[in-house]
Amino acid sequence: MAESQGDGTAGGTRGGQYSGPAAHAPEPVHDHHDDPAFITRTKFLTGVAVVTGGVMTAAILVPVVGFAAADALKEEPWQWVDCGPLSDFPDGKTTSIAVSGPYPESDRRAFVRNGDGALTAIWNRCAHLGCPVSYSAGSDAYACPCHGGAYDSSGRVVGGPPPRPLDRFDIKLVTAAGKDIARQESPAAGCSTSGAPADARVLIGRPFSVDKDLKPYALHGPGESVTGVLSHLYPF
Amino acid sequence: MATTNIGPKNPAVKAGEAALDYVDQRTGVTTGAKWFLFRNIPAETSWFQTLGFTAMALFGMQAITGIILAMYYKPDPNSAYQSIDTITNDVTWGFLVRGMHKWGASAMIVIVFLHMGRVFFFGSYKYPRELTWVTGAILLIMTMFMGLTGYLLVWDQKAYWATVVAVNITASAPIIGPYIADILRAGPEFGPQTLSRFYSIHMLVIPGGMATFIGLHMFLVAKLGIAEPPYSKRRMAVERSEEEARRAAENERLPYGRREVPASTPQPVKAEGRS
Repeated sequence: MAESQGDGTAGGTRGGQYSGPAAHAPEPVHDHHDDPAFITRTKFLTGVAVVTGGVMTAAILVPVVGFAAADALKEEPWQWVDCGPLSDFPDGKTTSIAVSGPYPESDRRAFVRNGDGALTAIWNRCAHLGCPVSYSAGSDAYACPCHGGAYDSSGRVVGGPPPRPLDRFDIKLVTAAGKDIARQESPAAGCSTSGAPADARVLIGRPFSVDKDLKPYALHGPGESVTGVLSHLYPF
Repeated sequence: MATTNIGPKNPAVKAGEAALDYVDQRTGVTTGAKWFLFRNIPAETSWFQTLGFTAMALFGMQAITGIILAMYYKPDPNSAYQSIDTITNDVTWGFLVRGMHKWGASAMIVIVFLHMGRVFFFGSYKYPRELTWVTGAILLIMTMFMGLTGYLLVWDQKAYWATVVAVNITASAPIIGPYIADILRAGPEFGPQTLSRFYSIHMLVIPGGMATFIGLHMFLVAKLGIAEPPYSKRRMAVERSEEEARRAAENERLPYGRREVPASTPQPVKAEGRS
C-alpha cells in the first residue's frame, strides 16, 4: 500500500498482485521542504554555520597573513651616507668601502672610482643573482664568484650570465657644512671633482640600475633586465 | 579463533586483549588498522613499491632529529653558526644527530625523486590515482622547500650566498616573483628576520603541511590500492586478449568499436504497463 501511494496510481501495486481499486486515494500533499526556494531550519542553520566559520577563519587569517607579509613588502629607505673626505679616494683608483646596509652579513659595498675628474659608485651586488662581485685592480674589472659574471671597469657586462650592468649608487660632493659642491649629472659622466677641496665630503645615496649605454633606470632586482622584452616581466 | 581455543589463556594475554577490546569497541581502531595494513596487493608488487615508505620513514627521521636539534640550535645571526659548532663538536652524539639530519635531507630528495620515477614509469598515476599523484607533487614541492629553508640555518658563507641566489631566482619569476622573494626574506635584504623566518618555515609551517599531505597521500594509497605494474602477468593477459579481440573484430571487417549491438535483454515491465 505504501508503494502504491508513492506513484499515485490507483489500484496498482508494484508486485502486480492486486489490480483492483485503491482502498484509499491519498490527497496530494504540499510540503514546504520539497520547494527548493523554501528556507528550512536545516538550510538556515547550515548557512549560519558556514558564514560564522568563514568570518572566524578570516578573523584569524587576515591579521596573520598581514603580520607575516606586510612589513616584508616595504621598500628599503635610502639616505645619503657620508663616506669620508675626497682625499680618501685617490685619483685614478677604485676604492672599496662598506656601505651601511641594514645587516653586516649582506656584505654590501660600493666601489668608488675616482677617474677622469669624476666620481662614480658601483654597487657590488651582481646583476645576475645578487652575489658580491670583487674588484681586481690589475685588470680593472669586476668578477662574480658564483656564476662567472664579468664586468668591465664601468660595470658593463663582458661575460657570463648577468642581464644588465652593475647597479650604481647616487653620489655627490658636499662641503663640511653640508652644502652641495657637485652632483652626478649622468651615470656616464659621474660626479665632477673639478675644483673640489680635498676635505670635501663624499656622500653616497639611493642606488639605481643602468642599461648598457649607462642610461639610468629605477633600481631593479638581480636577474631583471632593464631593456628589451624581458623588462616587461615585472610590471609593478 | 575458536578452533585454536585449547584452554584457559595466560592472564597477561587476557588483560592485553581486554584492553585492546576496550579501545576497539570505543574507537574501531583495530578495524581501521586492518583496513589500512592488511590490503590485497598485486602479485608482482616488489621492492620498487617500497620507495614511498622509505621517503616517509626518512621524513620521520628528519622530524625526530630536527626536534632534538631545535633544543640546541639558536636562530640568531650572532649565535646560529656557533650553536651548530657546539652541536657538532661538544654535545654528546651531536655530530651523529646533525649528520643524520643533514644526510637524511639529501637522501630524502634522492628517494622522493626515485619514488616519483617509479610511479611515472609504472604508469601508477593513471585513473583512478591522479589525486595521489597531485598530493605527491605537492609533497615534492614542500620537500624541496624544506631543503631550501634548512640550508640557510647553518648560516655560514656557503649557506648565506646559496640562499641569496636561490631567493633571487625566486624573485626572477614574472610579475609576483619580487613579492614572493620579499616575503621570503622579510624585506629587501637577508638579515636576522630572514633567519628566524626560515627557521619558523622550516620547523613549523612546512612540517605541518607535509604531515597533512602524507596523511592524505597514505589514505588515497590505502583506499585505491597499489597499481598493477606494467609487466604484471594478469595485466599482460588482459592486454593480449584485448589485442586478440581487436584483431578478431578486424577480421570480421567491422570497424573496431562499432561492433553490432547485441540483442537487448528483456526489461522488467513497469507496474503502470500492466492492467
